[in-house]
Amino acid sequence: MKAQRAVAHRPPRVRARTTSIAAFVVLAALIPTTASSAPGTRETDVELPYVCTLPSGPLAATARITAEFPERAAAGEAFAPSGVTTSVQLPAEAVADLAARGAGEVRAATRLEVAVAQGTAGAKATWRGGAEPVALPESGPLTLVSKGDVPSVVGRGDGDLTFTAGALSIDLALDAANPPAADPAATATAAHADAAGPGSGSLTVDCTLAEDAPGQGLLATVPVGEGGSPGPSGSPSPSRGTGESGESGESGAPDPEARGDREDGRSDGSPEVLETAPGAAPDRDDVPPCRYDEQTPPTDVSLNAYVTGYANVNKMDGAAYLPPSCLLIEQGLPVDGPPDPEHIIFDTVSWANFHYQGRKQTPPFPSTFLSFDFAPVKATMVLEQTGPIRIDSRIKLRLSDFTTVTDTYVRAPLVAHVTELEVNGTPLDVGPDCRTETSLTSVDPDPAHHPGDHLVLYGRGEQLIGQEATGYLLLSGGTLSGETSIPAFTGCGTADGEDLDRLLTASVSGPGNHIKQVQGQTCAIAAPVFPTPETPGQCTEDLQPYEIPVAER
Amino acid sequence: MKKNTRRSAIVVCAAASALGLAVGPSSAVPSTVWTVTPSPAAFKATNVGNIVLTATIPMTCTVSGAEGTMNSATGNPGDVADITTMTFGSSASPCTSVLGNVTTTSVVPWDVIAVDYNASTGVTKGHIGNVKAQVTAGACKFTVVGKASATYTNSTGVLAVSSVVGDLSVSSSPAPVNCGSVVTTATKPTFKGNYAVKVKSTNAIPTIVGSNP
Repeated sequence: MKAQRAVAHRPPRVRARTTSIAAFVVLAALIPTTASSAPGTRETDVELPYVCTLPSGPLAATARITAEFPERAAAGEAFAPSGVTTSVQLPAEAVADLAARGAGEVRAATRLEVAVAQGTAGAKATWRGGAEPVALPESGPLTLVSKGDVPSVVGRGDGDLTFTAGALSIDLALDAANPPAADPAATATAAHADAAGPGSGSLTVDCTLAEDAPGQGLLATVPVGEGGSPGPSGSPSPSRGTGESGESGESGAPDPEARGDREDGRSDGSPEVLETAPGAAPDRDDVPPCRYDEQTPPTDVSLNAYVTGYANVNKMDGAAYLPPSCLLIEQGLPVDGPPDPEHIIFDTVSWANFHYQGRKQTPPFPSTFLSFDFAPVKATMVLEQTGPIRIDSRIKLRLSDFTTVTDTYVRAPLVAHVTELEVNGTPLDVGPDCRTETSLTSVDPDPAHHPGDHLVLYGRGEQLIGQEATGYLLLSGGTLSGETSIPAFTGCGTADGEDLDRLLTASVSGPGNHIKQVQGQTCAIAAPVFPTPETPGQCTEDLQPYEIPVAER
Repeated sequence: MKKNTRRSAIVVCAAASALGLAVGPSSAVPSTVWTVTPSPAAFKATNVGNIVLTATIPMTCTVSGAEGTMNSATGNPGDVADITTMTFGSSASPCTSVLGNVTTTSVVPWDVIAVDYNASTGVTKGHIGNVKAQVTAGACKFTVVGKASATYTNSTGVLAVSSVVGDLSVSSSPAPVNCGSVVTTATKPTFKGNYAVKVKSTNAIPTIVGSNP
């Protein structure tokens, strides 16, 4: 992902510097860690040898890692490598392994352990990436190209900050292309396989850095502070999203002494946590509570659930990450739908509200990035409701074969509100009312019955007789998607009276922005289902949603 | 009402297509002695293929199981087994429907009732009796009660449950709540699926033989 297009939308240089920073900060709130190709960065392009364990045994592979790092950072300054791409080339033997499992196409997600070290202090980050599905080649090697955002890092003192690649895990989702000849015996213990059936399933391939890797896997060195010499104290730390802050790196860490300080990583010298790395389910401690209370008492049809996901911002060629947000839902009662000669139809209207600290909004979602002059910037936004969220579900039972389908439309009137900005730790006031003029809008499939501006998300659940239900269902969750236009911004201005509306509108507002949200299993307050050997948990003991969903791109 | 008629038709149709349903002529002389081997003995049963519960809309369970004790019995019908544990779904594989995940809690004991034995095929016909299960899908809750027609085949150890319309009903006390028009007391649920029965201690297939000495 690149930010050059945003650059093209920047105003002439006659604008004040604060204006430029503020504008870019807001944009960056929508696209964490996607700044790239800016002056003052340098690109890392490293090809490393790995040994990957496949069902047939260990095989040599290569991983090419490209990313952009700042040429220099200040002590205490947050930054994140941008444009991180991991290209893994698996040999033909690996392709044969996958083909033997009936796969014709694979979708890969990568997890690269990266040791971050400064002097004797170390920390470990996980760089996650996702790849588009690729067909298995008929001959030759298989190349998987994954991309993703990575956690921010703060160097606590002066000295070189090193990034060193370690273990690499590749999660493969296998899809059949042709009738397979799956061999269950091919499921070796070394590779974790979970075949869902012939020609489909999943496989995790663990790879270790080869002993002869150049530089022992060193990816980049970023000088921090005035000098480049190692500093005496402080542990660099990635964001909490890794869940591993404070741990020293893998064997690839340049300084074997790094382990000595691993326990100190969360000491008083630890940096502020900046963002949650996408791709992993956050800990419950890291998500806002989602429960009914005295101000919002439950009824006998009350449900709650978390929702999380991404919203693209086309003009920025990037995506905003919405962290798990609480929805309180009043489940509707199904009523008979319209007559249909081929189906029995039930319609249900449910209503929902976001719930965050008593307000009908998402939690603030902070994002951190580097502006062009590498001042660390933290921006915060919320999505605020301007009315209740309506959820229309239609169950259609086909009489000919008893196939049942549930189509669900979620209509949410939501404005995007920029609440806070910090540049280099200094708050920058954009005013209390910096938000989109109207709700995010979508083309409604039934505008006559659903007038007004609102976002529309759609999900479909389906069940063939005798088989499991799949897809999105309000009660059990799933993926909702849609497309939205981001309206013009209004009310955005600095304390000295500078108007930022036009700048934001030109840079962010526009049509065709894809949204993908994942809703978790609901908890029914009046009929809670707790985890048992027979039942997956739907509710925690204090009646919060048991499931915290993971955002998907 | 027209729509109700159509719904009944669906259930009938679904029942007729069920696996293992073998409604045939009764034996000339009804069995009054039911010899279960071994007896008494603890048994366990696990599903073979998916279990489908239908209450207007189908619900599928990929995991289901039963445990209990079996005993030889006399009389017709004969109570040849008590089911003391009956589960639908697991923590990893909940039962699903287009409403969402469905949780079914069985109120046991259930009974296995033998009615007719065909000596030439080794198949016992009868039903699962005293069925009672509380079903929830989100805020929708209802209770299913009644029986479910079934057959047991000695050669395979398969208990084929295939209820017919009228076997099961939706309880009016407690009545369904928050299910709207999908599930009402007029709904005719069905329960279909096959279970492999084993003697718990030996994994052997038990047999049921009916006779009239």
